Amino acid sequence: MSDTDGLSIPDSVLEKLNKRGIKSSDIRLKTTADLDFYGNPSVIWVFATETKILVIPETGLQEELEFELSRIKRFRIRASVGSAYLQARVDDFFIELVRFTNALRYRFSRLIVQLDLLRQGKPVSDEYINEPHPMTCPVCGLPLQTEKATCPRCARQGPIMFRVLYLLEPYLHWVIIVLLLMFISVALNLLPPKLTQILVDEVLTTRRHVDWLVWIVVALVAAELMRALINMVVGTLTTSIGTLITFDLRKKLFTKLQGLSVDYYDQQSVGTLMTRFSSDVEAFHGFITQAGQGFLLNMFLIAGIGIMLFFLNARLAFFVLIPVPLVLFGTYFFWNKIYPMYFKFWDSQSKISRFLNTVLSGIKVVKAFAQEDKEIKRFEKMANDLKDANRRVNINVAKFNPLMAFLFSTGGLIVWYAGGKTVLANTGFTLGQLMAFLSYTGMFYAPLSQMALMSNWVSSFVTASHRIFEILDTEPQLKDAPNAIRMPRIEGHIRFEHVTFGYDPYQPIIKDVSFEIEPGRLVGIVGKSGSGKTTLVNLICRFYDVQEGAVYIDGKDIRDISSYDLRRQIGLVLQEPFLFRGSIAENISYGRPDASFKEILNAAKAANCHDFIMKLPNGYDTQLREHGSGISGGEKQRIGIARALLCDPPILILDEATSSVDTESEKKIQDALDVLCRNRTTIAIAHRLSTLRGADKIFVVDNGRIAESGTHKELLDMKGIYYRLVMMQTKLTSIETEVG
Amino acid sequence: MEEEKIEKPEVVFLKPDKIKIFRATFGTIHVMVDNNSLYRGVFAVAAFPVSNPTKYISLFYYDERDREQEIGMLEDIDDLTEQQRDLVKQALTRQYFSFEILAINSIKFAYGLLFFDVETDKGTRQFSMRWEGSRALDYAGKGKIILDIFEDRYVLKDISSLSRTEQELFLRYIYW
Repeated sequence: MSDTDGLSIPDSVLEKLNKRGIKSSDIRLKTTADLDFYGNPSVIWVFATETKILVIPETGLQEELEFELSRIKRFRIRASVGSAYLQARVDDFFIELVRFTNALRYRFSRLIVQLDLLRQGKPVSDEYINEPHPMTCPVCGLPLQTEKATCPRCARQGPIMFRVLYLLEPYLHWVIIVLLLMFISVALNLLPPKLTQILVDEVLTTRRHVDWLVWIVVALVAAELMRALINMVVGTLTTSIGTLITFDLRKKLFTKLQGLSVDYYDQQSVGTLMTRFSSDVEAFHGFITQAGQGFLLNMFLIAGIGIMLFFLNARLAFFVLIPVPLVLFGTYFFWNKIYPMYFKFWDSQSKISRFLNTVLSGIKVVKAFAQEDKEIKRFEKMANDLKDANRRVNINVAKFNPLMAFLFSTGGLIVWYAGGKTVLANTGFTLGQLMAFLSYTGMFYAPLSQMALMSNWVSSFVTASHRIFEILDTEPQLKDAPNAIRMPRIEGHIRFEHVTFGYDPYQPIIKDVSFEIEPGRLVGIVGKSGSGKTTLVNLICRFYDVQEGAVYIDGKDIRDISSYDLRRQIGLVLQEPFLFRGSIAENISYGRPDASFKEILNAAKAANCHDFIMKLPNGYDTQLREHGSGISGGEKQRIGIARALLCDPPILILDEATSSVDTESEKKIQDALDVLCRNRTTIAIAHRLSTLRGADKIFVVDNGRIAESGTHKELLDMKGIYYRLVMMQTKLTSIETEVG
Repeated sequence: MEEEKIEKPEVVFLKPDKIKIFRATFGTIHVMVDNNSLYRGVFAVAAFPVSNPTKYISLFYYDERDREQEIGMLEDIDDLTEQQRDLVKQALTRQYFSFEILAINSIKFAYGLLFFDVETDKGTRQFSMRWEGSRALDYAGKGKIILDIFEDRYVLKDISSLSRTEQELFLRYIYW
């Protein structure tokens, strides 16, 4: 066996290498794949020397492969369904070198990086290739919910609980008061049975102190009253602490989310994040309430009652403990059985809500395609699932409650029997003591049963805490450099230098792209859907960092520029402008909340939206609903342009700004854009090529590369992709004109 | 001016007698169409991989700009000669990969994940999935495809083929 950098090469494989004249000292890179070409689990070795790449199977049905690195133009990963291949371009087509499951895609994407370095004669490392997958914890190997997430096992309950307690710190004085009040409340709980004992033994049976009757009753009333008052105060305080912590957490979460990079949102759905804000944060509130009014109180009660039981009669107290294991085990077993049933019930509920939301919002489509009966059948199935899930939960709860009541009563019955015998035997254990004992027994099982459920609510609380701390602990992928360059006024010179980027690092969208845009120029970007146009824009805004090469603004690498200065000076007009709930004036001044009324009016006028706004009954004070519903797409777009215009950015990006509106609206938007583009660097992505006739330069993006560039006329003369696109659109326009 | 006819796009069906599928060096598959167009490094994709895995098989290649291009579609691979059929089947084997679940040893829930220990057509496997509805897809109306955290696929073709205990265990967590 040979072991260089951790992976041991078996002798059988070394032998095969030796037959090919390769010694273990020649190996620069090595790793293993887990499938052969036929999909059988196998161990297939991949080696690279200074000049060659070799594929040697240890097991599996695969032939050995050997290529000179100089013959290979490039490596890539091809994803198939459920697995992937390392491919090498040899001559003019790709050859599959090795197959692996998706679990190894990360490893092979890193192998490609190292192979490229090796071919350039740069230092390489096996450790880089065989690093743990970011979907697993580097410490304990536990799979993670998302890449590089905090490992819930390593951040187990201990630290989490400390962090939760740390959140309580600002309210520590209230917590101490709650604890003190709880002690008093428990003492008051224990008082009535003791008073009952005195009432029976001293007043009712022996009649030794008949005059005590009234005082005992007064004391009982006072104890109950005090207990009620204390419980009210404890309840108010715990709820207040819980609410304040919920408020603090929501604030922290929102601040954190605002600071995270766009790539974080690519991995998380909005729905998931909403859950963090609603149910997970609410779990904290539940925890404080439970801890205050449930867990701690129950714990003190069990301890206090236990002491009283043993104090009254130790022998009888042991009888009380007989049903305890049954109560604990029964509760635990029941909840483990019923817990997943609740999930099914909640899931059925949310499915029905989603279905209703979709079908009722799309009712016109349902009716237009005459699919009412089909939708009714789908609804019936979901309603049926909900009914079954609901029934299952309720039946189990209905079985459980009487069973627990029976277990509680057995304790009382045992005490009646054994205690009754003790009283009758005249051993000094009085009837009053028995009555008090029975009262304490009745109070003993209920908190015990609740404590048995503790593991459930603690685990759901800990899960919720993990999810919240996971967000709070997430570091933004794109951080400002420690000495980020402040650029209060950008000129607008943009340069891409050998930029390669992919949202999935295994699949580059932008491939080795270089271009330059002079300040104040209007540049068009055209290309088919998915060609990489919007990705170029995302890189200029530094929503993502390039994987290779660099993007420069005014000669500075954007990774070194303060992101606040960068984004503040880039205006973005999207295909679907995002309007917030609020007035039209607030939406226009979103990027410059300090703008004066006059500036807002001028921006709206220049963006061609002033006239329609003035026709609205509340003018600029018109309140828009979510996503600006209530006004047309063209009107929304012009508000978006007014917003960009008000910020007066030196770089303006128009991402399909006119593609989703009718021809008349397009004309108005185009007029607004002509004003907007003056005296600033403008990058316009457009499907409608007619809008780019006046551009200083047009880049044609194809399959992640700049395939052509030039003016409209130059590109037409080239008779390439642009020419074909223009011809296609001309045909379409003439058809539309004829039809129209 | 000559009136230009706008053609309705249609799927190109490859006639078995007009194509030649053959294995070339390094296990790659080449396809010759009409004896004049040669496509190298061809791979196969099924249009209905679940409901009709041997019919409507599309053949693709990468053009000089690395873009996937469809050569055309084979209506039924049974219409091909045995040798060509085997090559297409091999190409499909290379395109699709999953572990078929035959039995469930255990499923445990922890940290928001389900930890599976299963018997598959490729031996015993342990894997974990995020406990979310989107990670268990329907398969042919009676089964499920489970995507683990690495996007590897585990297919349970028919839930009713499991033992009663295994079904209960499976449906306790995968009920969507």
